[in-house]
Amino acid sequence: MSEQAPGQEPPQGGKLSYEAASARIEEIIRRLDSGEASLDETLALLSEGKTLIELCARELAAVGDALQELRLDELVSRLEGTGDG
Amino acid sequence: MRQASSPAEPAGAGIPGSNLSGPYPVGEYAAALRSKLRSFTRVQLIGELVNLRAARARVYFELRDATGAIPCSAWRDDWEATCAREGLAPQDGMQIVVAGGCDYYPGSASASPGFSFAVHDLRVAGEGDLLARIERLRRQLRSEGLLERQKQLERPLLPRAIGVITGESGKARDDVRAALQRRGWRGRLVWAFTPVQDRHAAPAICRALGDLAAVADVEVVIIARGGGSLADLMALSDETLCRTVAMCAIPVIASVGHHTDRTLLDDVAAVSCSTPTHAAEAAVGIDCVRARTEALAAAVRLREHGRRAVVARARTLTMLSRAPAGRLERQRGLLHQRLRELRAGARRRMGSERALAHTRAVVLGRKASSTLIDCRRRRPRELEQLALALAGHDPQRTLERGYALAFSRGGEPLSDTGAARTARELRLRFADGEVDVDVREP
Repeated sequence: MSEQAPGQEPPQGGKLSYEAASARIEEIIRRLDSGEASLDETLALLSEGKTLIELCARELAAVGDALQELRLDELVSRLEGTGDG
Repeated sequence: MRQASSPAEPAGAGIPGSNLSGPYPVGEYAAALRSKLRSFTRVQLIGELVNLRAARARVYFELRDATGAIPCSAWRDDWEATCAREGLAPQDGMQIVVAGGCDYYPGSASASPGFSFAVHDLRVAGEGDLLARIERLRRQLRSEGLLERQKQLERPLLPRAIGVITGESGKARDDVRAALQRRGWRGRLVWAFTPVQDRHAAPAICRALGDLAAVADVEVVIIARGGGSLADLMALSDETLCRTVAMCAIPVIASVGHHTDRTLLDDVAAVSCSTPTHAAEAAVGIDCVRARTEALAAAVRLREHGRRAVVARARTLTMLSRAPAGRLERQRGLLHQRLRELRAGARRRMGSERALAHTRAVVLGRKASSTLIDCRRRRPRELEQLALALAGHDPQRTLERGYALAFSRGGEPLSDTGAARTARELRLRFADGEVDVDVREP
């Protein structure tokens, strides 16, 4: 086998994924619903939840505008053209 | 060591210093080579028919698989007779089995030489042969752990970009696009159009996969094609393709429209789907429209929790601040209550004591009255009896019966003779008077 395995880096690159963020939001809401969190913890959870919802909203917005269709061969040609130039 | 079929020892001079035999005339060597190759054991070979072409007298083609290729040839008459007899129509891309042995055309001064596997019989490989090959390769890949690598990758629920490898004219293209639209997903879709069923398919798919993996944001790749016969789908069981997919760091979703036999691509992929629609749904794990609604609902709930956290605590603090005054008021009320109870109790107790004293006084009064009456009634009789009893003991009555009492002159009664001798001067009392006497010893 002569081909090199493609995609050497993980796609997430360490960034919090949508699924991780949405799972954490559910966890936060469950904790808040329980009424057991202290004021300090509540404020911390609210802050974290707000950040995570913004992240989810950004991810959803990124795939919410318009379907963008590209052809790989054109993309590769363009990149090769850029590389040659 | 010289073989029996080797050419005779040449007469010309060789290369000075070389310890190799020769030089031999090339024609003789070619003839000897042909003899040698023809002596090889005759066998059957299986592989993909490639580059089939017919000359005037012979038919030429190559037989290939993933690891090698052999040029083949057959007498055209024999080839056509076999095809007619077996009802075959061999064409490029077919898996065939050929029977024959090695041969060598030695060429001539005006003709090029060439090696070929001389075919004297053939048949199209049945599904059994293909399945056996696939199964062998499947075992090999499994033993290397390559069937699990893709399944261990984390698949994003919401990829920003999706790569799709499929035939340009296939229906899969429309199905994938429609399914993604239904999901409410409107990100970047990168199409890689490749052959999906001939011998060019596997290398092209491998290249496309490598290129897609290098495109920014492509987080999942779909390889899709419609259904077909097992022979048509052989490209998707290509060993190199399967190893490339297995080693890819991006999840690959296989969508091969088959109903019975799985291709090896199905086995090595992260997910295997039966339709492009399912593959698209596997690539985008959530309904984006619903996810937007849920994110909004979560934001509202968090805001409500934030408001409640402050308001509820402020209310609690207010209650707590009012608590001491309320407690004092309650305690004061309690004290007043107890005071009232004590007073009432004291009044009740005094009343009952008074009644008891009154009762006792009445009882005592009655007892006193009764005693007084009784005394009045009984005492005179008792007194008379007592007077009689006392009168019985009166000394005067004894004196009146003739007795006398002896006293000292000082008036002390004397009851025996010793006292009388001591006193010497006595007074005797009789019932009618006293006389003084002196004691004289007889």
